[in-house]
Amino acid sequence: MSSTAPALRARVPRLAGAALERARLTVVPRRTRRRTSPVPFLLVVSMVAVGGIVGLLLFNTSMQQASFAATSLQKQADVLLARQQTLQMQLDQLRDPQVVALKAQRMGMVLPTSPAVLDLRTGRVLGTPTAATRLDPLRLQAPPPPKPAALNPPAHVTVVQPPATHQHAGSGATHRHTGSTTARHHQGSGAHGRNHGFHTFHSTPSGNH
Amino acid sequence: MVPTSPRGHGPSGRPPAPRNRRPGTTARTRRRRRAARGAVQLRLRTGFVFIAVVLSFFGARLVQLQGVSPEKYATLAASEGGTVTVELPADRGRILDRDGKPLADSVDGRMVVADPSMTRSKAHQLARFLSRHLHVDYFQTLSALQKKNSRFAYIARRVPASLALDVVDQARAAGFKGLDTRDDPVRSYPDHDVAANLVGFLGTDGPLAGLELAFNHQLAGTAGSETYEVGAGNRIPLGRSTIVPAHNGTDLHTTIDEDLQWYTQRILRQTVLGARGESGFAVVMDSHTGEILSLADYPTYDATNPQASPKKDRNSLAMTSPYEPGSVEKVLTLSSLIDAGQVTDRTRLVVPGQLQSGDRVIHDWFPHGTLKMTLAGVIAQSSNIGTAKASRHFKPGQLRHYLTRFGLGQRTDIGVAGETPGLLPSSAAWDGMTQDRVAFGQSVSVNGVQMAAAVNTIANGGVRVSPSLIQGSATNNLGEPIGTDHATTRRVVSANAAHQMTDMMERVVNPDAGTAPGAQVPGYVVAGKTGTAQRVGPKCACYNGQFTVSFAGFAPADHPRFTVYVVVQNPRAGGGGGSVAGPAFSKIMGFALRRYGVPPTGAKPSEIPTTW
Repeated sequence: MSSTAPALRARVPRLAGAALERARLTVVPRRTRRRTSPVPFLLVVSMVAVGGIVGLLLFNTSMQQASFAATSLQKQADVLLARQQTLQMQLDQLRDPQVVALKAQRMGMVLPTSPAVLDLRTGRVLGTPTAATRLDPLRLQAPPPPKPAALNPPAHVTVVQPPATHQHAGSGATHRHTGSTTARHHQGSGAHGRNHGFHTFHSTPSGNH
Repeated sequence: MVPTSPRGHGPSGRPPAPRNRRPGTTARTRRRRRAARGAVQLRLRTGFVFIAVVLSFFGARLVQLQGVSPEKYATLAASEGGTVTVELPADRGRILDRDGKPLADSVDGRMVVADPSMTRSKAHQLARFLSRHLHVDYFQTLSALQKKNSRFAYIARRVPASLALDVVDQARAAGFKGLDTRDDPVRSYPDHDVAANLVGFLGTDGPLAGLELAFNHQLAGTAGSETYEVGAGNRIPLGRSTIVPAHNGTDLHTTIDEDLQWYTQRILRQTVLGARGESGFAVVMDSHTGEILSLADYPTYDATNPQASPKKDRNSLAMTSPYEPGSVEKVLTLSSLIDAGQVTDRTRLVVPGQLQSGDRVIHDWFPHGTLKMTLAGVIAQSSNIGTAKASRHFKPGQLRHYLTRFGLGQRTDIGVAGETPGLLPSSAAWDGMTQDRVAFGQSVSVNGVQMAAAVNTIANGGVRVSPSLIQGSATNNLGEPIGTDHATTRRVVSANAAHQMTDMMERVVNPDAGTAPGAQVPGYVVAGKTGTAQRVGPKCACYNGQFTVSFAGFAPADHPRFTVYVVVQNPRAGGGGGSVAGPAFSKIMGFALRRYGVPPTGAKPSEIPTTW
């Protein structure tokens, strides 16, 4: 190829000038550049940036607010739950069968002994209806713990003391203290009002004999 | 892109410039360029050196932190308080009765604590305030508030959370300083002593008795934890946090009927105290399902204050203390004998005044000459001699097989820890004398529920249904599934044998023929059996002159609904099964029938002859 290059160059002047002119490389004319103001662009960019930052800040703030609200609501829920549980506990304590029975007995209510059943299909009364009585009440309270011997002086002293004119009271006392089954209760009731204790427990030993 | 030249283009007509020479570059600019290039090199080098210096500082610091003493810095970082880990306690499951009423409940609670160094100045006023609002002892509180050289004192433990927080807020508003609260869950037993022997109780660190202990794994659940970032003592709202959620405990549903349990306990206490007994228990069982509606023990204790009672009163004697059942066992012996086809309820027996058994002599509880009794009479009058004589019709090993089928000698596995299996003599030790004694309830020991379930077999038409204390299914600490879902049934004696036995047991409560007229329930037909057994003393391992009196029965006899078993140990006031346990049976059974609305069936009690 290098041998053909001078020959090619020698042939060039023979080519038409116009073609030569056409074939010459020229630099593409510079495009005239209009200088536009950078302000709008900067404005847009800064607006986007500021908007983004402010939006993010607002979003973050609202998230924090929601978080604070959630925490305080959670605390409120905990307090309310605790209150509900406490009230439930009080309710359960009030519903304790022992509490109900004590109140009922204080109102004068007694347990039925043998109620009758009314059959609604046939209209028949099953069983013999019997009125409830207070003769054999359910003893609701545990007996007081027995006193230690040192605090429990022999009861016979009170039996000996009254003169013969107070025969009635003396026989009552004897009856109380010979009733071996109820010795404990009398020991307990002795500390309280004497007459009161006597009447309360009198029905029980007679029911047992 | 439009290619541009920094210097414009050359004049037209000139040949293109060679590659290595840029058009229009002068020597001056070339020189300046070279200088600039040198400046860039310098800048780069300077930059690299600067970066290397900085990185080498980082590297040195890294080696110092990680290589020299990493632990020290790790602890330093942790103590800086970047994150906090708190425990999320699991709620303890409740223990419920059959209607879902709580026998044991968990309540969010707090302990109230004080810093004595802050409370000392106003201790008197604060102690008065606290004793009024928290119901604590004034003097104890006062000394706690004045404690010297201390910055911590308990004021009250296990206070319901709302009360504790209210009181502390009020105290703060009133100007008292130095009070605070901390988590301290409350376990409440609203019914105090009702079913306390079964339910058990919680100590400071954990369960100490009863179902609370036996089912602790299920009830306790697993605590979770939460780790979060804090800044200046406050939680950072959007900081990192990890939560391992707590798994709350599972409720335990029992078959106990709270009201019936309460009533049974009151009647039992009245009965044991009336008989001056040592202890006692009562079982109420649903005849068909085997569910235990009530299992009462006396002595008992208040579950909210267990320390007030001696330790021996805090478990279930009915389940843990074996005893000889005595004559109630005759129900099992004679129904087995009927099932074996050897006798019927009308079989005529000649009952002598005493019966030789090996080198011993068997007596009856009442002295008598030779009597002509039917088998029904043997049950109605509770004759040991008649039972032992009849039981000699068993083939070898037959009675033991029957009693095993009735459930004797095996745990009931109702879920009470420490249950005794009782003692049924082994086949090797089973001779004629043993059989004579076992036939009327000696030389064999049982627990309360075991015996109730055995008698209930007759009520349930000869099919033994295993007793249950837990509704559904629950898993105890040993991993055993327990509850009504796992209840089993098995036929022990034929329906006919059970029916004949029921007829005979109806004669027991007959005022003329039987031993326990006091066990009648007005309006209903009752079938039952008394028991008065000699008691084996714990020290001498012999009969020590004490007795176990009992009554087991069911009603209505023609369509049994409940089986009730009452036992009183060592009634020092005298009396037997009929006079001590019989009336208690009557009251408990009457209450249960009324409570569940069981109408009288209108049937007439059996008139089967007891003598001939």
